Amino acid sequence: MKLLLVDDEEKFVSRLAERLALRGFDAAWATTADEALAKVGAEKYDIAVLDVKMPSMSGIDLKNRIAQITPGIKFIFITGHGSEQDYDTVCREAVCCIIKPFKIEALVEIIEQALNT
Amino acid sequence: MEKEAGKIYAEGLAFFGKTNRLISHELKNILAIISETMGLLDELVELSESGMELTPARLRSMSDSIVEEVERANAVIRCMNTFAHSVDEWVRDIDLGAAISLAIQLVRLDPFSKAVKIEFSENDSHVIFTSPFILENLLYHTFHYALSAADHDKLISVALLAVDDGIEIEISGIAPGGFESFPSRQVALLAKAVGAEISSDTSAGKCHIVLAKKLTGGAAEALPVNL
Repeated sequence: MKLLLVDDEEKFVSRLAERLALRGFDAAWATTADEALAKVGAEKYDIAVLDVKMPSMSGIDLKNRIAQITPGIKFIFITGHGSEQDYDTVCREAVCCIIKPFKIEALVEIIEQALNT
Repeated sequence: MEKEAGKIYAEGLAFFGKTNRLISHELKNILAIISETMGLLDELVELSESGMELTPARLRSMSDSIVEEVERANAVIRCMNTFAHSVDEWVRDIDLGAAISLAIQLVRLDPFSKAVKIEFSENDSHVIFTSPFILENLLYHTFHYALSAADHDKLISVALLAVDDGIEIEISGIAPGGFESFPSRQVALLAKAVGAEISSDTSAGKCHIVLAKKLTGGAAEALPVNL
């Protein structure tokens, strides 16, 4: 089972990937949409965990591009926006949305849920 | 005039709301980095207790990164505080360079803006009498526009020049076709309120905002002196 984490905050995404790896997940990471698309083009991922707001492409647009390359991939969104409206909007586009900062156990639970849906 | 003042208030509230959202988003990003760093540190220490190697360099790197994020958060909060004071007095003397720096800091909080660089070279101090809040709103939206319409170099430069009738802000690095929707109705309304004149030089990829040294009419008369 392979995970791809995408967030423009490198320290955040690299440490999250390392913590997930310590829990047995095969987690790759990218800080730009282009980098993420290159990784998806080169390898098959089961779940993509995407930041909603990124510099060159929104998380929702990136999700649509990734879904074209890897049909069947599951999506989880991460956002720093705490408003209910933003949360509802992105939740419609993914298995779940999680608001920063979060406990890693909460993300692991969502990943496991996503794998079982 | 009353209708226009209402629109300026509405724009101001929307601007205040937007900057609050951007600041909270940035602070949440910083908290998330600190949280992941602390979480990883805790897990590595736990693993080291059962024999895994944990070097002082790794510990140092994580502790440095927490310090950096605290400094980043402090800079955001300082920016938020300075911005909050822009509504203390409806019109007053302000340092234009400081106002530009603040607007750049605010626009840089928007994730989209990180794909383009923006530089401001401040030479002399230019003090003008105007509405600090409306000016911040005008500058923010102008820089936001410039960043979204930047040319292939992806570098927007901002400079201040003294001109006969006031102070000119020159913004360069905009793509030749990037002026079609500039100034927007919103920017034109804000410019009118602070008596600013906007002009564009499409072939040079530049736009200019000329501000009077002392605002008369516009926001100075149309709106209450103090909120």
